[in-house]
Amino acid sequence: MCNATWGEYWRDIDGESMLFCCDVCADIFQTMVNKVKENTGWNSIDSVNLVGNYNKGRECSAKNGDEEFKYYFRTYSNGKFITFEKR
Amino acid sequence: MMRCPTCLVELEGGFPELGRHIFKQQRLADAGHITWINRYVSKTRTDEDTFISKVIAVFQNDSLKEWIIHQFVKKFYGDDPHRFVIAMQRPSKFVLLGYAYEHHHFLKQWVKSCASIISNTDIEEVQHYELDNISSEWRGSGNTVPSHHELLLRMGESYGAKREDIYSTEALDPTKLAISTWDYICRDLTFVEGMAAMHSLELIANRNIKNYGSPIGYFDPEILSDGSVTKETAEFLKEGYMADVIHSEVALDLIEKYSKKLNIVQPVQAVVMKSMEEFDNYLNARLERGEMLENK
Repeated sequence: MCNATWGEYWRDIDGESMLFCCDVCADIFQTMVNKVKENTGWNSIDSVNLVGNYNKGRECSAKNGDEEFKYYFRTYSNGKFITFEKR
Repeated sequence: MMRCPTCLVELEGGFPELGRHIFKQQRLADAGHITWINRYVSKTRTDEDTFISKVIAVFQNDSLKEWIIHQFVKKFYGDDPHRFVIAMQRPSKFVLLGYAYEHHHFLKQWVKSCASIISNTDIEEVQHYELDNISSEWRGSGNTVPSHHELLLRMGESYGAKREDIYSTEALDPTKLAISTWDYICRDLTFVEGMAAMHSLELIANRNIKNYGSPIGYFDPEILSDGSVTKETAEFLKEGYMADVIHSEVALDLIEKYSKKLNIVQPVQAVVMKSMEEFDNYLNARLERGEMLENK
C-alpha cells in the first residue's frame, strides 16, 4: 500500500497470503477489496492497480475477467476510510 | 534525554538510542513508527547504522524555529498540499460547516491546553503570552471584539447551523484522538513541549506562509471580498489571518529560547512531529464532517 520495505506483516486476504509492512496497510487493502466486491457484486478480484499516495488519495482500477471497476479512496493515518467513490 | 516522535516515550541516551528504538519498532511491524520512517527517513529499508545516521539528519538544525516552519510547510503545503488546504482555496458551504463543527471542539481543548501550559511554568512572559492567546481565542475583548470561537460559531450560523447543534454534536473520532494527545502533551510534558505542540499548528493560517516556500496560502485572499463566502466567514478567516502570524511566530521564538535553556530541543522536535500527525487527521475530520453534513 505505502511502498515501504520496512516491517513485515502477513495476512490472508481472499485465500492468498499477502505481505504488508504493517497491520494498517493490511486493513486498508482488506477494506478496499471488500468495498470493491460490495460495489460490483464480484466474488473475487483478479488484479488491482493503485496510483497516488496517502495525501492525495488513490485512483484505482480493479479487474475481474473482462470487467473493470474504477474508484478512488482516501484514509486517515490509522487506515479508517474517509472517502470511497466510484469513478 | 530523547523523545520518540511517534510514541512519545522518553529514552535515556542520545540519537543512537532513539534510532535503535525506532528501528526495533519497525521490525515489530508497528504501523505508527513505520509511518514516521516513511515520511521523514525513507521508504527503503537500510541497515541499522545507516538508519541511525539518517535519523540524526532529520533532527539536525541551526534554528529550531526555522526547522519547525520547514517541517510544517513541507507537510501541509509541500508538493501535495493537505486536502483541507486545497478545499479552503475556494471553500464550499459544507467545507466551512465541517470546519465550524469540528473546530469548536478543537478550540475548547485549545484554551485548556494554554491553561495547562500556564500551570506548568513560573515564567511570566510565557504566562502573559498564553493569557493573551486565551483572551483572543476564547474570551474576546469587551463587547466590541469577539473571540475567535465566537466568530467561528457565527460562521457556522451563517450557513444555517444552529449554535446548540454545534455544541451538542460529538466530535469525530480523529478529532477526539487528536484532542486527547494535545491534552496529554500540555498537561504532562514540559511547558515548552506543550507550547510547541499547540503553537506550531498556528502556522496553518499564517499569511507569511508563502515567504517560507509554500506555493499557496491557507485560502485565496480574494474570497474575503469577492462575495463567494458569507461576511461572517470573511470575518472569521480575516481574524485568524491577522492573529496567527503574531501568535505562531512569537511563540516559536519563546519555544526556541526555552528549549535551548532547558536542553530539550530534540524532545520539542518530537512533540512537533507528533502534533502535526494529529493535526493532519484532525483536518481530514473537518472534511469528513462536511461530507457527512452534505449527505445528510
